[in-house]
Amino acid sequence: MRRYVLGRLLQLVPVLLLVSLIVFAVMRLLPGDPALLMLSGAEGGAITPERLNELREQMGLNEPLAAQYLNFVLGALQGDLGSSIRFQVPVTELILDRFGSTFELAVAGLFLAIVIGMPLGMIAAARQGGWIDSLCMTLSYIGSSMPVYWLGLLLVLVFSFTLHWFPSAGGGSFEALILPAFTLGLLSAGVLARLIRSSMLEVATEDYMRTARAKGLFPRLIIFRHGLKNAMIPVLTMMGLQFGALLAGTVVTETVFSRPGLGRLIVDSILSKDYPLVQGAILFLAVVYLLVNLAVDLAYALLDPRIRYGN
Amino acid sequence: MATETLDVGATERPVRLAMGRYFSHPGAVIGLIILVCWILVTIFAPILAPYDPNELVSRARQAPSADHWLGTDMLGRDVLSRVIYGSRISISIGFIAVLLGGVSGVILGLLAGYFAGWVDTVISRFVDALLAFPSILLALVVIAALGASIQNMMIAVGIATLPDYARLVRGTVLAIKSQPYVEAARLVGNSHLRILARHILINVNAPIVVLATLQIGSAILIGAGLSFLGLGAQPPTPEWGLMSAEGRQMLQRAWWISTFPGVAILSVVIACNLVGDGLRSALDPKMRMG
Repeated sequence: MRRYVLGRLLQLVPVLLLVSLIVFAVMRLLPGDPALLMLSGAEGGAITPERLNELREQMGLNEPLAAQYLNFVLGALQGDLGSSIRFQVPVTELILDRFGSTFELAVAGLFLAIVIGMPLGMIAAARQGGWIDSLCMTLSYIGSSMPVYWLGLLLVLVFSFTLHWFPSAGGGSFEALILPAFTLGLLSAGVLARLIRSSMLEVATEDYMRTARAKGLFPRLIIFRHGLKNAMIPVLTMMGLQFGALLAGTVVTETVFSRPGLGRLIVDSILSKDYPLVQGAILFLAVVYLLVNLAVDLAYALLDPRIRYGN
Repeated sequence: MATETLDVGATERPVRLAMGRYFSHPGAVIGLIILVCWILVTIFAPILAPYDPNELVSRARQAPSADHWLGTDMLGRDVLSRVIYGSRISISIGFIAVLLGGVSGVILGLLAGYFAGWVDTVISRFVDALLAFPSILLALVVIAALGASIQNMMIAVGIATLPDYARLVRGTVLAIKSQPYVEAARLVGNSHLRILARHILINVNAPIVVLATLQIGSAILIGAGLSFLGLGAQPPTPEWGLMSAEGRQMLQRAWWISTFPGVAILSVVIACNLVGDGLRSALDPKMRMG
C-alpha cells in the first residue's frame, strides 16, 4: 500500500507542474502588458513610463520568461501567489478566506447527491424495467440536461419567493446553504443515480451474485451486501470527478445565490481583470480537484486489493 | 460494373441496419424531432418571431398574454422573439465550440495514437494537464486571457471539450493501428497522411460522431452558464444564458424573463443527449455484435 501511495504522489508532480505551466502561460500570453493592464485597471489618471517600469520590475516582468515561471512556481510552493490588484492584499489570503464557503457548499452538494442519487439508482436497478426505473431515469436525464443556474432560479422562485421557506441569497447561515446545496446536489444526484444503476446491473450478472441467489439469501441482503459493495468501485471514482464538477458548479451557483465564495471571486476578478487573483484562484481550485481525485483513488485502493497489486 | 454493385450493397446494408436500430428507440426519434424543430426555428427565426428581438415593443415586465405569449422583459422587449432569435446564438455556440474542440482534439488524438513515442508522450501529458481542470474552470482560464465575448467563449468551450476527443481517438487508434489492413496499407507504400485519413480516421468516426453529439449538449450548457456569469454573450444579444441573468434581479416580479430561456436550453440539450444516446446504440460495434 505504501508503495502505491508513493507512486501516485510521484505521478502527481509532473501533472502539477504542467497545470501551473498552463495557468502561467495563458496569463502571460495575454495580448498586452500585464503591468499596463494592472495600472489602467487599478489606478486612475495618467500612466507614466516610470511608474510602469517600476511595476514591471516589481512584478518581475523584466526577467526572462523561464525565470518568471520559476519564480511563480517557487512562490506558489511557499504559498505566495502574488497580490490582488483590486484588493491590494495577498491572493492566498483572499483564497483561503473564501474557500471555506465554497468547500462547505460543495460538500453539502455531494452529500445531497449521495443521499438522493444512491437510493434512486438502487431502486431503479432492483426494479429494472418497471415504472420506478423509467421515472428515475427520466428524472436523472432531465437533471443532467438542465443549466445549473436555471435550476437555482427555479428553486428560489418556488421555495423562497412563493413558500418563503429559505432565503434567496447570502451566505453564512445554514438556511442560506440549503437552496444552493440542492441546486448542486440534484444535478449530481441524477448523474450518480444513472451510474449506480448501470453499475449494479453489471454486477448483478456476476457469478457470486448468482451463488448468493442460488443459496436462497434474501434479495435485500444480496443487493446490499453483495451487489452494492462491488458496484461502489466505479461509483467512487465518479464521485471524485463529481466533486470536481461540484467545485466548478459553485462558480455559477454562488452567483445565483450571491454567496461570497471562491467561484464568485474568480468571476469577479476575471471581469475586473485582476489577473494575479484569477491565476492564483484557478491554480488553487485545480490543485484541490487533483488532490480530491488522488484521495478517491487511494480510498478505493484501500477498499479493493486488486487495484493495489495490479499494475 | 459487377464490383460496383457489390460495393454499394456492402456499404448500404450497415447504414440501413444502423438506421433501423436508431429508429427503434422512441427516445432517439423524439430527440431527433425536437432537434430538427429547433434547427428549423434557427433558420426561420425572422418569419417565426412576432417582433424584432431588440425592439422595445411594449410596456416592461408584462406577464404572458395573447399579444406576448412569453411576456415582455425588463425593457419591454418580446421574450418569445428573443427566445426564437436566441436559438441562433445558443445553438451555434454549441455547434461551433464542438467543431473547434472536435477537430483539434481528433487531430491530437490521431497523432498521439499513430506515431506513439515522444509525440504521444508530449500530447498525452498535455491532455492530462487539461483534464486536471474541471471543464468550466478551463473555459474560465481561456476567457480570462482572451476577454469576455461570444467568439472567445466558443474558443474557450472548444478547448474545454478537446481532451475528451483526444483521449477517445488516441485509444481507438492504438487499438486499430496494428490491424492487418493498416499494416498492409503501410507495406504498399502509402504515406502516413493517407493511412491516417483513409484507413484509420474512417474507422474511428462512429465514436467521434457519438461523442460530438453528446458534447453539443454540454457545450450549450457551459456556454449558457458562462453567458449567465457575464463572461460570454454581451447585452443586448438575445442569448439564452444572458437572458436568464438579465431577468434574475426581477425574478420575484417577472418570473417569465428568466425561466423561458431555460426551458429552451433544457429542450435543446435533452434532444442532443437523446440523439447522442440513440446514435451510440446504433453505431456502437459492441452492441452490434450483441
